[in-house]
Amino acid sequence: MSQGAGSKKVLIVEDDRDAAEALRLVLEDEGYTVIQAADADQGLIRAREGMPDIILLDIMMPSGTEGFHFVWELRRGPEEWSRRIPILVLSAIHGKTRLRFHPDQQDPVYGPGEYLPVQGFLDKPSSSAELIAKVRQALEEAAVLSGNQAGTDR
Amino acid sequence: MTEPGDRSDVELEELQDRVSWLVRLRWVAALGVVATVWMVPRVIGIRLWERPLYWTVGGLAAYNLVVWSVNRWVPAATRGISVSHFTNAQIALDLVFLTVLLHFSGGIENPFVCYYVFHVVIASILLSRAATYLQVSFAVTLLAAMTASEAVGLVPHYHLPGFLDPQAYRRPSYALGVAAATTTMLVFAAFMATSITSRLRRREAEVVGLSDALREHADELADAYAALRQLEHDKSDYLHRAAHHLRSPLATLERMLTVVVEGRTGGISTKTHEMLERARDRARGMGDLARDLLVLSRARRAVVGAIQDRADLPALVRQVEADLQQQASLASVSLVASCSPGVPDVAGDPETLRDLLANLLSNAIKYTPAGGEVRVNVSAAADAVEIRVSDTGIGIPAEEQPLVFDDFYRGSNARASGKDGTGLGLAIVKAIVEAHRGTVSLESEVQAGTQVIVRLPLGARVVAKRA
Repeated sequence: MSQGAGSKKVLIVEDDRDAAEALRLVLEDEGYTVIQAADADQGLIRAREGMPDIILLDIMMPSGTEGFHFVWELRRGPEEWSRRIPILVLSAIHGKTRLRFHPDQQDPVYGPGEYLPVQGFLDKPSSSAELIAKVRQALEEAAVLSGNQAGTDR
Repeated sequence: MTEPGDRSDVELEELQDRVSWLVRLRWVAALGVVATVWMVPRVIGIRLWERPLYWTVGGLAAYNLVVWSVNRWVPAATRGISVSHFTNAQIALDLVFLTVLLHFSGGIENPFVCYYVFHVVIASILLSRAATYLQVSFAVTLLAAMTASEAVGLVPHYHLPGFLDPQAYRRPSYALGVAAATTTMLVFAAFMATSITSRLRRREAEVVGLSDALREHADELADAYAALRQLEHDKSDYLHRAAHHLRSPLATLERMLTVVVEGRTGGISTKTHEMLERARDRARGMGDLARDLLVLSRARRAVVGAIQDRADLPALVRQVEADLQQQASLASVSLVASCSPGVPDVAGDPETLRDLLANLLSNAIKYTPAGGEVRVNVSAAADAVEIRVSDTGIGIPAEEQPLVFDDFYRGSNARASGKDGTGLGLAIVKAIVEAHRGTVSLESEVQAGTQVIVRLPLGARVVAKRA
C-alpha cells in the first residue's frame, strides 16, 4: 500500500540479483519506481540516464573497492544533482554508521581516511519496515535540503 | 654506524669533555696553592716567597682561562687539532707550572716534589702508554733541570726556612737521592696507572661490543614481533572476510524468505507460510552467527595497546540507549542510562566500544522478562572509567559464571528461555575489553538479575613505537 510515494525513482546498485529483487519487491509495493544496476559502471550509466531520486548501494560488490569507486565517481560529477542525490549504503557489516575511504585510494577531493559522503546505512539484512522508513527519511531530508537551496538560489 | 662526519663530532665531544675536566682540576689546584701559600706563613709560621708564588698561580689561572674559553667558544677551530695533541700540550704545560712553583718554594727542599705524580696519573688516564712515559720523562727532565740550574747558580734558589739547612740543595747526595726517589716513583706510578687504565679500556670495549650485540638482538626481536602482529592481523582479516562472505548471502536468503512470507510474491497456503517463516528464522539465526563472528573477529583484530583514538563514553552510552529503546519497549523492559558528571575520555575506538555497549545492553534486554529493568551507568573510578550494566533478568547459575565468557557458551537457563542466541555476546565483550587493556567482571543471581562491570583505562596511551 503506497503512501504518496508519488513517482519517486530508486536506483539499486547491487550485484546480488536475489538481494536486489527482494529489495525491489518491497519498494515497488510502496509505490516507488525501481531501476537496477549490477555493478559500479552500470550504476553510473543508469544514474545519469535515469536521474533517480535516491540510490541504494551495496558497498562491497563484489570486490572491496567497487562500491567506494561508485560513490567517488558520482560525487565528483560536474552536475549538481550527482553531488546532492542521497545515497544509502547497504552493508553486511553490522551497525555501521560511517565509512571511510580506503587508506590507499588517492583522490584530489576525498582524501584517504575521509568519511564517505553518503546519507545513511542499511544493515543487510534489515526488515522491510526499516528499509521503507530509511528510504523515506532520506528522501525527506534531501527535499528539505534542495528546498533550502532553491530558496537561496532565488 | 659512524661516518667520517660523525667521527669528528665524537672526537670533538670527547675533546671538550676531557678539557673541561682538566680545566676544573686546574681551578682546584690553583685554589689549593693560593690557600696553602696564604695559610703556611700565617698558621704554621714558615716564611714563604709569597709574591712570585702568587704571580705563578696568577699565570696558571690565566692559562686555565684561555684553555677554558678556547674549549667553550672555539670548537670549530679545534677541529684541526687532534684530541691527544691538545691534552699532551696541557699536561706538559702543567708540569712546567708545577716546576716553577716548586722553584719558588725551595726547589728540591720542598716535600711537595712528589706532586708530579698527579700529572702522571692524569696522563695515564687521558693519554696512551707511550705518551704517558714521555710525560714522565719530561717531568723528570724538568726536575733535574731545576735542581741542577739552582745548584750551579744559573737561577736563584728560594730557600724554604724550617725544613732543611740552606746548603742541602747543593749537596749531590741529597739532590740525587730525592731525584732518584721521585723518578722511580713516577715511573712505577705510570706503570701501575697505565696497566689499570688499559684494563679499563678493554672492559669498555667489551661493553660497547655487548651493547651493540644487544641492540641487534632488540632489532631482531622487534622485527619478529612485527611479523607476529602481521600474522595475527592476517588471520583475523581472513576471518573477517570469511564472515562477510557468509553474511551477505545469508542476509539475502533471509530477505527473500521475508518477502515471500510478507505475501509480496502472491498468495501462499498457511502451511507454506508457516514452513517459510521457520526457514526464515533459521536463516536469521545463521545470519546472527555470522554477524557475531564478524564482530568478534574485529574485536580480536585490534592489537592490544595499539589503540590511539579517544572515546567519549557518556556520548556513546546515550547513542546506544537511543538505538535500543525500540528493542526494549518491544520486550516491555525499561532501559535507563545514567552518567556521572565529569567522566573523562578513554583510550579506545569509539565504534568498537559502541559494539561493546550494544552487546551488553542487548543481552540484558533479551534475558530480562517483561516488566523488568535494565540500567546502564558510566562513572569515573581511580584511573579508569567504569561501566555497569545491570538487569533484573534470569541471571546466570553460579557454577556457570566462569564459563559464560567462552566462545559459543550459552547458559543452561538462557537456552531454556527459548530465546535465540549465538553464545558469542560475552566473548565479544571480553575481546573488546582486553583489546582496550580493561577488565570485565560479573555478579549474578538466578532469577534476580545480573550485573556486568567493565573497567577501561583512561586517556591516550602513548604506544612505544620502534623508530
